[in-house]
Amino acid sequence: MNALARILGTCAVASVLAGGAAHAQTRAETLRQVTGNAFNTLDPNLPGSTRESFGLAMSTYDRLVSFERKPNGKGFIFDFDHIRPELAQSYSVSPDGLTITFKLRPDAKWHDGTPVTAEDIKWSLDRVVTAKGLGAPQMLTGSMTKADQFTIIDPMTVQVKLDRPDKLALPNLATVYPIMVNSKLVKQHVTADDPWGLQWTKDHEAGSGPYIVDTFKPGEQVILHRFDDWKSGKDGKLPFFKRVIGQTVPEAATRASLLQRGDADISIDLAASDVLAMEKDPKLKIISTPQFNAWQMIAFNQRVKPYDNLKVRQAITAALPYEDMFKAAIFGRGAPLFGGTWTTGAPSPLFLQPMPEHTDLAKAKALLTEAGFPDGFDTTFSYSVSTAQINDPLAALLKESLGKIGIRVDIQKLPDAQMSTLVTEKKLAMFTDTSISWMTTTDYFVRNFLTGDQRWNYPSLDDKALETLAQTARFTADPAKYDEMARQLVTMVAAETPEAFLWQPSQDAVVVPSIEGYTYWFHRQVDYRDMYRK
Amino acid sequence: MSATAAGHALHVLRANRVSAFAAILAVVLVLTAGFGPLLLPFDPIASDVAISLQPPSALHWAGTDQLGRDVLARVIAAGRLDYAIAAAAVFLSFIVGAAIGGACGFRGGAVDRWVGRIVDVLMAFPLFVLAMALVAALGNRVENIIYATAIINLPFYIRFARAEVAVRRGAGWVEAASASGNGPWRIVFSFLLPNVLPAMAVQISLNLGWAILNAAGLSFIGLGVHPPTPEWGIMVAEGARFITVGHWWLVTAPGLALMLSVLCFNLLGDGLRDMLDPRMRT
Amino acid sequence: MTKLASIARLAGQRLLSSLPALLGVVIFTFVLMRVLPGDPAVFFSSGPSAGKQEIEQLRHQMGLDRSIPVQLAFYLRDIATGSLGHSMTTGQDVTKDLRERLPASLELTFAALILALGLAIPMGVLAALNPNAWIDHAVRFFCTLGVCVPTFVSGLLLIYAFYYLAGIAPDPTGRIDVFASPPPAFTGFLTIDSLLAGDSEAFWSALRQLILPAATMALFVLAPLARMTRAAMLAVLGSDYIRTARAMGLSRPRIIIAYALRNAALPVLTIAGIVFSTMLGANVLVEKVFSWPGVAAYALDALLASDYAPVQGFVLLMASVFVVVNLLVDVLYGLADPRVAS
Repeated sequence: MNALARILGTCAVASVLAGGAAHAQTRAETLRQVTGNAFNTLDPNLPGSTRESFGLAMSTYDRLVSFERKPNGKGFIFDFDHIRPELAQSYSVSPDGLTITFKLRPDAKWHDGTPVTAEDIKWSLDRVVTAKGLGAPQMLTGSMTKADQFTIIDPMTVQVKLDRPDKLALPNLATVYPIMVNSKLVKQHVTADDPWGLQWTKDHEAGSGPYIVDTFKPGEQVILHRFDDWKSGKDGKLPFFKRVIGQTVPEAATRASLLQRGDADISIDLAASDVLAMEKDPKLKIISTPQFNAWQMIAFNQRVKPYDNLKVRQAITAALPYEDMFKAAIFGRGAPLFGGTWTTGAPSPLFLQPMPEHTDLAKAKALLTEAGFPDGFDTTFSYSVSTAQINDPLAALLKESLGKIGIRVDIQKLPDAQMSTLVTEKKLAMFTDTSISWMTTTDYFVRNFLTGDQRWNYPSLDDKALETLAQTARFTADPAKYDEMARQLVTMVAAETPEAFLWQPSQDAVVVPSIEGYTYWFHRQVDYRDMYRK
Repeated sequence: MSATAAGHALHVLRANRVSAFAAILAVVLVLTAGFGPLLLPFDPIASDVAISLQPPSALHWAGTDQLGRDVLARVIAAGRLDYAIAAAAVFLSFIVGAAIGGACGFRGGAVDRWVGRIVDVLMAFPLFVLAMALVAALGNRVENIIYATAIINLPFYIRFARAEVAVRRGAGWVEAASASGNGPWRIVFSFLLPNVLPAMAVQISLNLGWAILNAAGLSFIGLGVHPPTPEWGIMVAEGARFITVGHWWLVTAPGLALMLSVLCFNLLGDGLRDMLDPRMRT
Repeated sequence: MTKLASIARLAGQRLLSSLPALLGVVIFTFVLMRVLPGDPAVFFSSGPSAGKQEIEQLRHQMGLDRSIPVQLAFYLRDIATGSLGHSMTTGQDVTKDLRERLPASLELTFAALILALGLAIPMGVLAALNPNAWIDHAVRFFCTLGVCVPTFVSGLLLIYAFYYLAGIAPDPTGRIDVFASPPPAFTGFLTIDSLLAGDSEAFWSALRQLILPAATMALFVLAPLARMTRAAMLAVLGSDYIRTARAMGLSRPRIIIAYALRNAALPVLTIAGIVFSTMLGANVLVEKVFSWPGVAAYALDALLASDYAPVQGFVLLMASVFVVVNLLVDVLYGLADPRVAS
């Protein structure tokens, strides 16, 4: 018995020592990310892909082009206005804006070692606009809809033809969906039902990106190793980390502990309260970026009475306790979109800027009386279970404050699937959510989030003048004219009060001090290519 | 009768210190939940963000939460709701379960077989997942949490009542009651079930504690009661996430309240079993 | 021989008679999922640019555009052919997901049960040998304390104490150290697989990962096990043959271990069976807290996303495990108790 215990004990010690030594070599060259969500597919075009899968696909696949990045505080932020060639060696846009020509890299290789050809590129572009996936509707916003827009000019040149000079065509090619895939490999796995091989690429990767998938356990973890033949990096540079581990750790408190113990290197989805405490921790570094393309709002669905009444919407916007909500819900971690001082219309052409919303209960009460509800009314306020940590306190404050002007709020915390169904069916009265836009032009925000009979038009706003102006702005090339139109758009939105703009929450990336290079990307995920260890 | 019963109870309590402790604890807890809110100077709902997340002090004995609400006030206010949820859920499953089980045990036959099948189906379910699914389907409101908890407890009561009644069905005193003109329902409810009650009381007491834990578990995954209603489960679930941050007081008070309550119900259940067990009457 | 045959026959009968219950479970879950107010097609098409057409297309792809009875018929046909549908959450086949995740849950549950029995039986025996003495009360109090703490709280506290503060426990993220290479899959139980592969490093890593979650679960089930051990021991100790054995002057340890404990084992076994199947289905929260890649956490995620197939598959699996465990308990009972078979 004792002997056995001793043997087992020796084994344990030996294994710990051996393990420690083995880790020491590779640990510094390994990046370990922990996240609360799941990596659920290797191809971001599949319906149901999570945001984490988007982030993953940025590192396993190349696109023709990529956004540049610019320094921002302790890290970097993506630069929507500067686009560099990625899998393409260079690109040029014709003076009329209708043709984009891509020159390919002669030395680019797929992960299986075969060369990247113009046929592959054409097939990949055809795929993203044709396959029944998430890509097609996104490409539509860049005026790319059908396969015959893409032509092979010569073995090293591919051209994209547009019907209109769309400013968003090139940026769209830098988004998550238009991945360049190894067509010869994927074609071996297509079926009659699935001519683009989405079912196969779901858990098989066929790219040319800087990382190759080693292990993929959906909902658990993904392990990548570096593709040393990668040529598409900025200045041809390889990423620093030789190995990347992305792991799902559902409990935010556990993720926090992992970072504090130095076992994980980075997490970008910790609870705001944890981040607050970690700021005092010398063993950690926090890179905070206001998510300048995302915002939390309280939407008033105009299809549900009495939110069709402008005065009611204005009354509620005047009754919300913005400062308290900002402090209690997200601990002040973000950029306020309330409390703006406007003199004549919107001061900035940006869609997200402080709106002229202030807490003023007397004014709220007066507006409510004017609207015909001197005694208030009963209403509901909804949010999803997964956002409870932020929205539980927010809802409690909202209920209390609206109660003061006589509005009786019934709080509904809904499972996520239920919430999204009700949002899509336009059945919720008043609710809160965070929206994000990959494209950051003001007209894009307005067109996608405040017009049309589609899901993301949370307030179900139906304003023809706003819609027309946004469409005009979309194809306005002159920057000065565009800015003027953008300012006008925002002014119109403020007058309509379709929603109460709350804030741009911070993206708090918590890293161990040795990690550098974190970049806030439009898709809000970690791009492993950027990161290195000091 | 009652005098001797009380005397017996006292005897058992004296003999069993743990049960005595549980009984006193139960009285204290129920009184606190009942009258505590009247005595407290703080509103459990009203927020004051200026004093959020303060550690315990002379003024706020258990500290304040994210919205500056007094944690102690919320814990005490939550007691009523939690006891009500637990009591309602257990009462519901007991009444329904005893009625169905008693009828089946007494009657037997096809109905019994069918009910047996349905109970088998329920028993085979992973219970917590069933509760989650029910609450998710019905909506996470207090009454639905009660129904869900009642339903997952139901099979125990049906089986228990059925077995106990079936065993006693053929007993001489039941036949005597039947011969003296009592109908079957009357026999089940007046004669058989009261005899089963002691054994069930133990289960009831244990289930009360379990129901509170169940509600807490539902809160942890976000299917608990809506804010700003104070409830232990949700306070513990939220507070537990603040431990590493150093805001330990958020979980301490609700955690203790929840723990003591469940402990109390469990020990009480044990004590009850001893008290009702005739072999203890020596 | 005849006894074995009759037990086998009995087991066969039990298995057959449990089929209606399993069917009931399938249908009930099926209907319950469709009563959920969330529409999975809407939820999963909620990419940055979901349109109506995309939602319809997904609904068609998921077969949700058919009537519920037709969907049920298709589902039952799928089950008969061994398919449990497709998970939108993980993007995989449910059978594949469950096959990969069930061993994780089973290993954790077995570890917890062994730990719990290892503690509960001695405590129960001690309590039964000294009824109403302080040790009896102490056992009762201690076990009851375990039931009083919600598993997610005890789990988080254990992590806080042993991982965060003391640094003894490994990081609570899954079944094996993320930097260790897992042993070749054979049984799916990492501890057993690593022993089979002779990989001591993997074995220790897997074992260390198991300890905290298993302890969390074990704490919660100590009470019923210890209570049953105590009750069964008391009953046995008061029986005639123990008195006879005592009268015959057999030694006390011999009586307790050879006679009393053996006879008390049956009711404890029954409870252990029940505890096992309850734990397997109820360790949702433990799996969540410890990032354990088990079936229960899988079902929870799917449930919140209204992802039908994984929840249905999980419930069917749990119900089947329940039936099999009960059957095993009965068979063991039959083997141990001559009266059952006759």
